[in-house]
Amino acid sequence: MKKYFLDIYRGMRSILKGMILTLIVAFRPKATIQYPFVKRELPTRTRGRLYCNIDDCIGCKLCAVACPVDCIYITANKRGPEEEIPLTSPESGAKQRKFHLPQFDIDFTLCCWCSLCTVVCPTDCLYMTKEYEFSVANQQDLIWQFGEGQKPGPKQKIEPPHLKSVK
Amino acid sequence: MSELKTQELTINMGPQHPSTHGVLRIELLTDGEVCMRAIPHIGYLHRCFEKHAENVDYMGVMPFVDRMDYVASMNNDIAYAMAVEKLLGVEVPKRAEFIRVVMAELNRIASHLLAIGTYGLDVGTFTPFMWAFRDREFILDIFEMASGARLLYNYLWIGGVWMDVTPGIEEKIKEFGDYFGPRIDELDTILSYNQIFINRTKNVGIIPLETAINYGLTGPNLRGSGKKWDLRKNEPYSIYPELEFDVPIGTGEMGAVGDCWDRYMVRVREMRESLKLVKQALKQMPAGPFRAKMQRVRPAPGEAYFKTENPRGELGFYIVSDGSIKPYRVKGKSPCFTSISCLDEICQGAMIADVVAIIGSLDIVLGEVDR
Ligand code: SF4
Ligand code: SF4
Ligand code: SF4
Repeated sequence: MKKYFLDIYRGMRSILKGMILTLIVAFRPKATIQYPFVKRELPTRTRGRLYCNIDDCIGCKLCAVACPVDCIYITANKRGPEEEIPLTSPESGAKQRKFHLPQFDIDFTLCCWCSLCTVVCPTDCLYMTKEYEFSVANQQDLIWQFGEGQKPGPKQKIEPPHLKSVK
Repeated sequence: MSELKTQELTINMGPQHPSTHGVLRIELLTDGEVCMRAIPHIGYLHRCFEKHAENVDYMGVMPFVDRMDYVASMNNDIAYAMAVEKLLGVEVPKRAEFIRVVMAELNRIASHLLAIGTYGLDVGTFTPFMWAFRDREFILDIFEMASGARLLYNYLWIGGVWMDVTPGIEEKIKEFGDYFGPRIDELDTILSYNQIFINRTKNVGIIPLETAINYGLTGPNLRGSGKKWDLRKNEPYSIYPELEFDVPIGTGEMGAVGDCWDRYMVRVREMRESLKLVKQALKQMPAGPFRAKMQRVRPAPGEAYFKTENPRGELGFYIVSDGSIKPYRVKGKSPCFTSISCLDEICQGAMIADVVAIIGSLDIVLGEVDR
């Protein structure tokens, strides 16, 4: 019987202590931010959506090999013997670009943001941006194209020419 | 009058039950409100970690290792990295070791905060959960500065760390050290020494030391039962022998040794020790390279096993190499898997409501149980 009342007393005391503490904490500065209206400032190393500056890419495919989930798809066609070999920008080491790169796609549905691809790139043309809000309604829109002559963004559907003629 | 015959009832708890901390299904055999058996069914989060690891190179395993125990990625990475380093026989620069320990201990605090916060939630209090997440956020910000990611870092690499720590991070960690000490006291006031919480968790889910050892429990679950066993002390690795810290154990202050409160309290006390470790390591951190010079990872044929002290216990990696760039076999020894194995034994005779408290006190992460 005595224990019963003692427990009640102790319980009340604990609640009171907790409440006082909660009251004190309530007057501290807020820890939360109103997200869509206020955004955090992101540190420099933030891993957001990948971006490839295709003009600096030499088509070495090191990134595709390093990727643990194989979500970088590159098609590299060797330039013809007569063709002039352009160089990458001086900041990236002015390396020879021996390949045409008609396809450089990254599938962001598979990517796990491990950043292993960006560290192996010899010209630093593949890097992570600070963009992190890229939910889409259509899964297909998460496959991005960076290939030569393509606008970086969701992969455009290429209508096969023979189908066009049927229509 | 003959005794009233009651029927046993089998109910499924989970896999989508908020207090099973993930996707765990427990088959409860109940007699009224008393639980006769509690059989855990696992595998809902199986992602073929071990098979994946055979198909990517040594470095590529790291992101998958991160995803095993996803609330303590840094601690997982340290175990895997050291296992591969043992296989390779490379020496890790001193600075890298210190960065690793700082990160691992911070992650231990973050992981214990999550365990404590959600445990409070399990037994019915909401405020400590919010507070724990507020403080965990601080640590995640530090990790984000260092690695760019908030949960799955891939920061500790084979042979060292990915990049040197960002300038300004040391001040931030120091700030955290000053900030966090009083926060643990607050947590103690509102939760640990709250009489309602004590009455709810004392003498519940008692794991006697013998049972704990028989089931192979490690980490806070074993220490909660009163055994002073910590790999950082008993089989020291990295720079732990140079640092000073205590190993808290359960003493049965409130009830019996090895009850839920003891296991909970071991975690709270470990946070203080980790904070001490972080402060020491930060102070002693030498200058120098942050990663060993090495070519692509290609160990000679052989095998290695390395175990470290994870927030949840002893995490080990057994790696077999056949001399190629991909591991021939990677086996992870998960502490959560062993923790969950004793669930049946300690749940027998407990109330259904206590089963929730027991699961919470074991602090399992299903990502690691199932791998
Ligand atoms: S971040 Fe990782 S998963 Fe994503 S493309 Fe690069 S290597 Fe692949
Ligand atoms: S959300 Fe993260 S942990 Fe979950 S499947 Fe995706 S990458 Fe893996
Ligand atoms: S590693 Fe860099 S240069 Fe090589 S293919 Fe990838 S993006 Fe291009």
